[in-house]
Amino acid sequence: MKRTLILLILIVVVSSFFLSTAYAQVQARLRVIRASNVGQGFDPSLRDVHNELGSLFSFTSYRLLRDENLNLALNRPVSISAREGRIILETTLVGLSRGFAEARIRVAREGTEILNTQVRLSPGRTVLIGGPRVRDGVIIYALYARF
Amino acid sequence: MKDSCSSVTKLVEKYFDGEVTDKEKLLVEGHLQDCSACQDALKSIEGLRTLIKTPVEEAAEKEDFPWVWQKIEREIRSQEKLTWWQTLRSWLDVSPLLRKKIWVPAVATLVVLLFITGQIIFRKTPSYPDSSVVEYVESGTNNVMIYNLEKAKITVIWVFEEPGEDQTSS
Repeated sequence: MKRTLILLILIVVVSSFFLSTAYAQVQARLRVIRASNVGQGFDPSLRDVHNELGSLFSFTSYRLLRDENLNLALNRPVSISAREGRIILETTLVGLSRGFAEARIRVAREGTEILNTQVRLSPGRTVLIGGPRVRDGVIIYALYARF
Repeated sequence: MKDSCSSVTKLVEKYFDGEVTDKEKLLVEGHLQDCSACQDALKSIEGLRTLIKTPVEEAAEKEDFPWVWQKIEREIRSQEKLTWWQTLRSWLDVSPLLRKKIWVPAVATLVVLLFITGQIIFRKTPSYPDSSVVEYVESGTNNVMIYNLEKAKITVIWVFEEPGEDQTSS
């Protein structure tokens, strides 16, 4: 009886391991940045992306609004809001392969979708989604996947 | 006296071994004071016991009993020790699962499960060029620009909103 139980536990553990591997999650980091031409300065938390933002955009001020670590599971949307919920970015993991993850990203302003895209996130790749207007500037989302 | 002597003689050996009752002990000790024949009988028992006991004790002292036990235990273990294959077989043979033939569907289920999960884990994916990070972009309201900075591995998706879009802001 004891051995039967051990065998059953063994089978369940092995099966669980394979299933959990198959439906693994992806860790992602999403930073919400407000860029504007009012004032000057870089948020110290954005020091690591100072050069990239400076070379891509011509804003004079960058401020970090939110820095979130996301657990992206297949087909489970994760929403991050900005501007008191007026602008919402929704990320959904739609595919997972060795070396990259596919994510569908929707940006909505007050319920109206302004962007719907699907991107491939690979190690070391940063996807910047910008443009939604806020007072005196724009919102820039910086998305990275952690493998 | 003779009767008393014959009845005490039976008790002398028990007396020597300390197996008599208090009453018998008093009887024997009282009798021994007066009876030289029974005293001799007791002495001969003592002599005989000493003769047997001494060599046995000497032999036991010479013998290393812990070592003997270790040797016996080692021998038992060596006889009981099975190879991993024998262990596995005996383990499986005893298992009621094997007797009930549940193993066959269990293994089949496991194989199917491994096959399905293996398909998901190791499925081949088309190797996209690194530049095609964005698979599609849709916007019903605004113009959208995609810009790839390959050296820095940055992809920019920019939504062009009119300046007045955030009028509700405080």
